[in-house]
Amino acid sequence: MSTTQPFTFPKYYSYPPFFTRQPTLTSYHAQLQKWSSLILSYCRHHRLFKLSIIDALDSNLFNNKTLGRRLREVNVREVLEYMRKEGRVEWVGKGTEGNEVWVWWRNPEEWATAVYEWVDETAQKNTVLTLYELTESEATLSQGMIDRCGGVQIADWG
Amino acid sequence: MFLQNIDLTTALRPAYLPDEVLLFVQDNVGLYEGKFKIPDHQNGHVYLTSHRICYVDNENPRKHSVAIDLKDVDRYEFYAGLFKSSAKITLFPKPSKRSSLQSRAVSDLNTPSRSATSTPLSRAESPFHLPTPELPPTSSATWICTICSHSNPVPSNFDPKTASDRTPIPPCLLCGIKPALAHVLKASILSTTNRPSSHSPAALRTPVPIRGRPEIPRPQSEAWGEPPSQNASQATTGEATFPCPRCTFLNHPSLPSCEICGASLVSQDLPTGLNRPSLRPESPGPTLNHLPHLETQTNESIKLSFRGGGEKIMYERLKGSMTQRKWLLQGAPPVPKLSRPNNESGSSMPTSSSPSGERVKAMGIAGLEQRRRDVQKNNELVIGGAFEDLEALMASAKEIVALAESFSQNGGPGSISDSNTVADALGLVTTKDMLGGGSNSETLYISELSRNLAEFLTDDARGVLRKAGGIVSLVDLWAMFNRARGGVELVSPLDFEKAARLWGKLRLPVRLRQFKSGVLVVQGSDRTDEKTIKTLLAWLQDLHSFPPDKEVAWDWQFFGRGVTAQDAAERFGWSIGVAEEELEMAEEKGALCREESIEGLKFWENWIIEDRWAQASLTV
Repeated sequence: MSTTQPFTFPKYYSYPPFFTRQPTLTSYHAQLQKWSSLILSYCRHHRLFKLSIIDALDSNLFNNKTLGRRLREVNVREVLEYMRKEGRVEWVGKGTEGNEVWVWWRNPEEWATAVYEWVDETAQKNTVLTLYELTESEATLSQGMIDRCGGVQIADWG
Repeated sequence: MFLQNIDLTTALRPAYLPDEVLLFVQDNVGLYEGKFKIPDHQNGHVYLTSHRICYVDNENPRKHSVAIDLKDVDRYEFYAGLFKSSAKITLFPKPSKRSSLQSRAVSDLNTPSRSATSTPLSRAESPFHLPTPELPPTSSATWICTICSHSNPVPSNFDPKTASDRTPIPPCLLCGIKPALAHVLKASILSTTNRPSSHSPAALRTPVPIRGRPEIPRPQSEAWGEPPSQNASQATTGEATFPCPRCTFLNHPSLPSCEICGASLVSQDLPTGLNRPSLRPESPGPTLNHLPHLETQTNESIKLSFRGGGEKIMYERLKGSMTQRKWLLQGAPPVPKLSRPNNESGSSMPTSSSPSGERVKAMGIAGLEQRRRDVQKNNELVIGGAFEDLEALMASAKEIVALAESFSQNGGPGSISDSNTVADALGLVTTKDMLGGGSNSETLYISELSRNLAEFLTDDARGVLRKAGGIVSLVDLWAMFNRARGGVELVSPLDFEKAARLWGKLRLPVRLRQFKSGVLVVQGSDRTDEKTIKTLLAWLQDLHSFPPDKEVAWDWQFFGRGVTAQDAAERFGWSIGVAEEELEMAEEKGALCREESIEGLKFWENWIIEDRWAQASLTV
């Protein structure tokens, strides 16, 4: 599933203070924005639609092993809460304090455009496509746009 | 000669001469020369030291501060004040050789009935008052009131040749009783004949003082012979009654002159005179229109007018210091050491403990013990002798200071740096008993302490601020200051903080700053947060080029490295607490950001905020 090419982290990923919650408001805001964009690009690169906090804590995303610094769970939740307010993430299930989040590295409108363009390109307008065809067919796989999780999302939208 | 310009310290206090000791401070003092107020010298502090009397103006201290050497003072008189006239101390200069004859002549004339406030030297003999040499003398003669002994000037238009019974003679300025014509006539003629022939020809003419010439506007000395009318424009009308400025009788407003003393009531400038507080910043007396020229030969007396009280203590202390004549000691050899009865060389100085003949006999531990006993005995003798009475303490002050220094040197290695401050501090302190009474003696003490502190901080020789990296916490400073005072007259923390808070108001070169955690620190007033951040960032920038001690995982050439409060304290000479606060201040301003790790709290250049990245991408 995941691409062979490793994800290149941005430069600030190796900046030690990046892993400490900044008490100053302006710094904190900038820090949240940086984390938000890092999580989104990481998920996009690895085609992750769902992020489990517990698992992610030990992943490269939140744990910089070369630096020996990691983002603590409390702070991860803060970042995710910030992203939820921005509309980039949604808790799986009803509660606000779940352990998993949907990560919208493309929001629904962006997905709609992508699907439409794919249908248009492959001349399948006015053809009925099953969800399976849409998500698992060789054609879409080559496009590398959607996987099962994405499909679930699409199904969710109705 | 009499009034001299003086140097002020950074804290706007007079710079002391060597061995000079501060005896007394009083604020709300104005200066008079003869009978006239000296302009711009009407509200200031007076410092009585063992050598001088210094006046430091409140408004413009650098410009209008003068001193009188006590050695130039011939005698001094005390005037307790009457009605609205403030208490005054008059200082008479020693007559110079040139003018000794004339001053004695006038003094002889006035001596029999001279009062405390009398000014025996006529104003005609102070030529420096004349704006230009060709002008006639401002005042010619004085007559002594037969009732109250106040010395009044003979009116300007009074001509002994033409004077008759109908010539109007103003009543006595003090008691308001009209003098006999013959009395004034006599005084006027005497002063004319006493004038030396060597004087300028103008002085030989019939005295026509300045205020008699209406073409020169002299608004404040114009009203001589009339009640003191200084600011007629300030007059508040509509009062049912107003007091006579002379005898304070409440007259009907339509009366042109006082019912009791006959003083003219033309000016109504003091309607609330009776209700005024004792503190009087402005005196209604006439003012000189020009400053007395310093270093000019004059025999004019100088008066200190105490509008805020404190004159009695000042007078007592002045009396003491005039008797002691400390200035004679300047440069004199130190007080000879007390000689022991058994012919042992007594010495309080540990350095000069040369063994005498007797000591050579004792060897080893016994010898050491013997020596110790000797030193102890000697110290006892010195201290005992010093405290026998205060006079003796004054005499042996030098020895006591030396002893104090040797004690503090023996106190331990840490106290050596403070020991040199002991001697200075003994001469510098302002203590509560040095300050005059009055309602505001407490605030005066605080403000003096505040100046004292500012001096202590900015003293280059001591370098208190410099050693602490330009910033020191108030608590540390308090400890340092009290230690420097050598354990006497310690300052309470409350007074200390109050004094520190006054720095801004007194425009002193240090300021008190409060960090957000509430820690109070002291720093030079030119040191701003921006400057501190700049130095911090410059330091962190340096760390980009110097490789860290051990291998690090991040790109130190790009990010630099983090610093702890400890590092900053070492680097800038701050105390740890101050360093923490400064770093947090810089963090708050967005210049730094923090990193919490197992190594502790470190501060970094802020690479998190976006615009710094934009800048970096341009430069890197």
